[in-house]
Amino acid sequence: MGASQKRKKEKQKDFQKPKLKVGKAKAKPDNFTDTSFKSKSIVLNQQSLKLTAPSTTTQFTHHLSLLTSKSDSQRRDSLAHLTTSITSRPVSSPLPQPVSLLLPQLLPLLLDVNTSVRSNLLKLLRALPESDVADHVSQLLPYIRAGMTHLAPDIRLSSIEVLGWLVEVAGEEVVSCAGGWVKTLNCFLSVLGWHSEVSSKWTSASSAGSSNSTNRPSFGKAGAKGRPQVKVLSVLADFLDAGIGTPDPSSDVDSADGEGSGGASFPIRQFRSQMIPQTAAPYVYLNLFGKPRDEEGEMYETREDRWRVFEGRFLGAVERGVAEARAEGGEVGRASAGVSRVLVEARA
Amino acid sequence: MSRIRFRASQFGRPREPSPSYRYAARRPKKFLSASTPTFPPLLNIQEGAYPFNSQNMVKRKLGALEKVEADLPNLQHKIRRDPKSYVEDFRAQHYQYESHREIFMAAPSSATDTGIISLRELLDFIAHVADCYPDITKDFGHQLIDMLTQHHLLLEPELREKIVGSLVLLRKKELLDSATLLQTLFPILISTPSKTLRALIFQKILMDLRSSNAKTTNHKLNRTMQTVLFNLVTSDRTSSKGLWAIKLTRELWKRQIWADAKAVEVMKEASLAENEKVIVGGVRFFLGGDKEREEMEEESSDEETIDIGRVKHQVGINKKTKKKARAIEKAKATVQRRERKKNQPHPLNFSALHLLHDPQGFAESLFSKHLQSPKSKLNLEQKLMVLQLVTRLVGLHKLHILHLYSYFQKYLTPRQPSVTSFLASLAQASHDLVPPDDLEPLVLKIANEFVSEASASEVATAGLNAIREICARQPLAMNETLLQDLVMYRKSKDKGVVMAARGLLSLYRDLNPEMLRRRDRGKDASIGLQHGEKKEKRFGAQEAGGIEGLELLEKWKEEERKRKRAEKGLPSDAEDDEEDEEDENNWDAWNVEDDEDSDDSGGWIDVQSDVEIDVSDSDDEGSRPAKKAKQAGEDETTESKPETKLPSIATTRILTPADLAKLQELRQEAAVNALVPGFKRRGQTTEPRYKDDALTAAEIEGLAALSAGKATREERIAHAKEGKTDRSEHKSVTAKRKEKKEEQGKSTTNKEKARKKNFLMTLGKAKSKGKRSLVETRAVLRAHQDRQKRGGRKGNK
Repeated sequence: MGASQKRKKEKQKDFQKPKLKVGKAKAKPDNFTDTSFKSKSIVLNQQSLKLTAPSTTTQFTHHLSLLTSKSDSQRRDSLAHLTTSITSRPVSSPLPQPVSLLLPQLLPLLLDVNTSVRSNLLKLLRALPESDVADHVSQLLPYIRAGMTHLAPDIRLSSIEVLGWLVEVAGEEVVSCAGGWVKTLNCFLSVLGWHSEVSSKWTSASSAGSSNSTNRPSFGKAGAKGRPQVKVLSVLADFLDAGIGTPDPSSDVDSADGEGSGGASFPIRQFRSQMIPQTAAPYVYLNLFGKPRDEEGEMYETREDRWRVFEGRFLGAVERGVAEARAEGGEVGRASAGVSRVLVEARA
Repeated sequence: MSRIRFRASQFGRPREPSPSYRYAARRPKKFLSASTPTFPPLLNIQEGAYPFNSQNMVKRKLGALEKVEADLPNLQHKIRRDPKSYVEDFRAQHYQYESHREIFMAAPSSATDTGIISLRELLDFIAHVADCYPDITKDFGHQLIDMLTQHHLLLEPELREKIVGSLVLLRKKELLDSATLLQTLFPILISTPSKTLRALIFQKILMDLRSSNAKTTNHKLNRTMQTVLFNLVTSDRTSSKGLWAIKLTRELWKRQIWADAKAVEVMKEASLAENEKVIVGGVRFFLGGDKEREEMEEESSDEETIDIGRVKHQVGINKKTKKKARAIEKAKATVQRRERKKNQPHPLNFSALHLLHDPQGFAESLFSKHLQSPKSKLNLEQKLMVLQLVTRLVGLHKLHILHLYSYFQKYLTPRQPSVTSFLASLAQASHDLVPPDDLEPLVLKIANEFVSEASASEVATAGLNAIREICARQPLAMNETLLQDLVMYRKSKDKGVVMAARGLLSLYRDLNPEMLRRRDRGKDASIGLQHGEKKEKRFGAQEAGGIEGLELLEKWKEEERKRKRAEKGLPSDAEDDEEDEEDENNWDAWNVEDDEDSDDSGGWIDVQSDVEIDVSDSDDEGSRPAKKAKQAGEDETTESKPETKLPSIATTRILTPADLAKLQELRQEAAVNALVPGFKRRGQTTEPRYKDDALTAAEIEGLAALSAGKATREERIAHAKEGKTDRSEHKSVTAKRKEKKEEQGKSTTNKEKARKKNFLMTLGKAKSKGKRSLVETRAVLRAHQDRQKRGGRKGNK
């Protein structure tokens, strides 16, 4: 008894309030650690105290660096800021940063988790000057392809949209750059579920997207009534048109112009081919510094090349897929009409 | 995309299990959401996901699996269960991987984990399911190899480790062969600056080599790997990269995966390298590799002992689960494996020192390169190690190295650091084919420098011990006057010196008593001299070889014969013919398993218990009881008889396997008996030392520990404790039993529970007991009585 009483008292001692006395400093707690220190001088390394607001260029760079931020909304807002600063800059003035510096920061965002970030990114890409983008297609395409085969359906769809924009802007470069034709087509087929074996075996199942568990939601969001697939089909039509469609009349005129003028003057015909090309990397096709390419990664520069490869590897699958899509009817069927039209023209 | 089409497909192919159908069964909700456009609430996409379909924005209900947007492990699991149906998904992921790889190859140093899925996860995923789609992933391994070999310096550590892990996984799935894997990993192991990567790769290489040698020895792979290691060591002798070869070889040697001459050759080249670390690594291997291997063997053999009976019993009691059943299977398998291992013959393993191709050349070049040459950069410790190796080689293979003994000359002073090691090496280096002229000056020098009245007792002990060890190997290195002088030290006051001098004395009593003074020779030796048995061995004389322990077998046979004859009632030493009878037995004896005779001892070894204890060699033999002396004399006479005739058994008959088994048994028995104190007889003081064992500095220091007053208190305590088994604190038997019970997790008795019950909990009852009314007390008492009758609360029916 006595011992336990004593123990009780001892325990209580810890919780007793220390008496405060007037005119005396408060008693320090037991576990007090003295953290004061002395120093001869204090150096402030970085302090940015300025009277003027940061210039637009510095803001631009700052926001560019914020693109790798952890927070979704931060990334989205920075993208929005970049977009506005690009679009609102005076006409004919250069970009605050060249595209070659912008792209490495922007491209990983193609695979961003957040939907709004990706849609903002598309807006930003649309705001970029078209001529600059054309030089960087080979940089863009791997990311787009990675997005097209992503496990998450949302990312697949948004990267298809980006591809649509890119084909629109620089169709010729997209289909003719290294790996741009075969690899991208492969991705299309996998997005649509048109790959040969499966579609032959389980015809309707594949079009319902159930052959691939994770593909399905992308098509199967019935609320969208097949819209994702419509989108994919229309982009595919554009892509095929750029690759194997009939040559553009405008570029025809251009070349005809050159030829015509060449033909009119002295024996020098087609002098354009003798001149140094005006693209950014004219000798890429030589592949001087890269690794040797296989069939998939090869550059297919002319329409004939592309058609040959397409006919050999993809035509059957695409035709089968298109037929299925048409049989489905509705918006999908209509969209498939675009693809089949391109095929018919290409064959002609 | 509609229900109707789906059904059509189902009815169209009733036999084939449609993946979609299976799929629907697995995830009904998703199936609905995909194929029936008639349930609007289920079927909407996330808000704001797509700008182009903003008409109906009701929140979509997500299935559990859909919530995780990119669930590679889930997909992996599904692919494992049904690879055919998920080929499209896999193909998509493979494209994904291809594009990520492209991005990565364009800029290997930049961060790779962007978005939800990183290259690392994709690699992991593809590596895990690669065996399901060999045609799609046929390039995967080579792509990984490319990535690793080209960019291993830039890769971020996690990705790097993942690539290595994936490669090993592919190897496990047989999609990559061992040679390719090793050829990829080994150059990286040597060149990478990252410590963690090196550790990882080393472990993986080792694992791969072990697993590919697990069932049968993969000679081809071993040979290529050994060649690679050999080239690594020999190509650049100054670099420290050879260390990896050493590490790998040593590890594999230890595990007995590599036990051939080629591995030893690698180590030999390593010890002749120019880099100190490599040299030391190689030399260490020769000095300690075999011991390590033995230890490993022992370690693996006495893992945990499984009592199969106990396991079975437990299963009978406890709940029967699959896990328990598996446990019993495993235990059975382990026991079986162990049994099989026990019956297997001991693997024929040669020590590394025996597998050397050219020990003379090796020892010579070691000596000239690391010890003699002034350019050698080794420090004393390393030099000592090399010297130890050289001398072991010399002693073991009886080599001659020209300047070895003169090299020792300058190190043999008491002031030389770690001189005992030098002494041990010198003793190791002497064998019976060394010319006595080489050794004599060294012995003389040791005697002069170390053994004197003025020198400290430890020094004298070490000197005497060293001389004894040298002379044990080459008795001719000693001259008479010196020996007689040294033997006088047994009168010293210091115990260590006394013991050392007695050792020398008994050695020469055995080897060459003529060199001793008459009164030092002792009884046995003098008798031996009179009979003319103990003769000085001439230089280079070889003893006729024999089978070890053959005389034991002969003796045993003789006894058996006598016993049998005694059973029959015949005179024990009659020489009649029993050949025919023996012949009958002989054919049985060729088969060891059938022979009961050799198995009757059943693994038990007889240890003699009633032998007299007799250790000292002191010369006050006269004071002994006469009876004992007489007994010893009888021993001598009985023993001397058979020695005169040759062991005839090996010359007269062919030893059967049963004979050999018995021989082995007898040998073992003798060895055990030799360890029992008291069995040693006079004249057997120098038990034949196993020649392969090295002589250590500790043996030279000998009984210096006995020198009085030198040991600290701790040392003395430790010395006193040495022999005792450790026992825990003193406790009563009951307490120990209780502890044991508690350890085994058994419950306590009611009595114990009552005793242990918290005091405060009993208070209430104690209080209320006093306040009970008469009626209550009555009720309680009645209840108690009733209980007693029934026999407890539950009743004892």
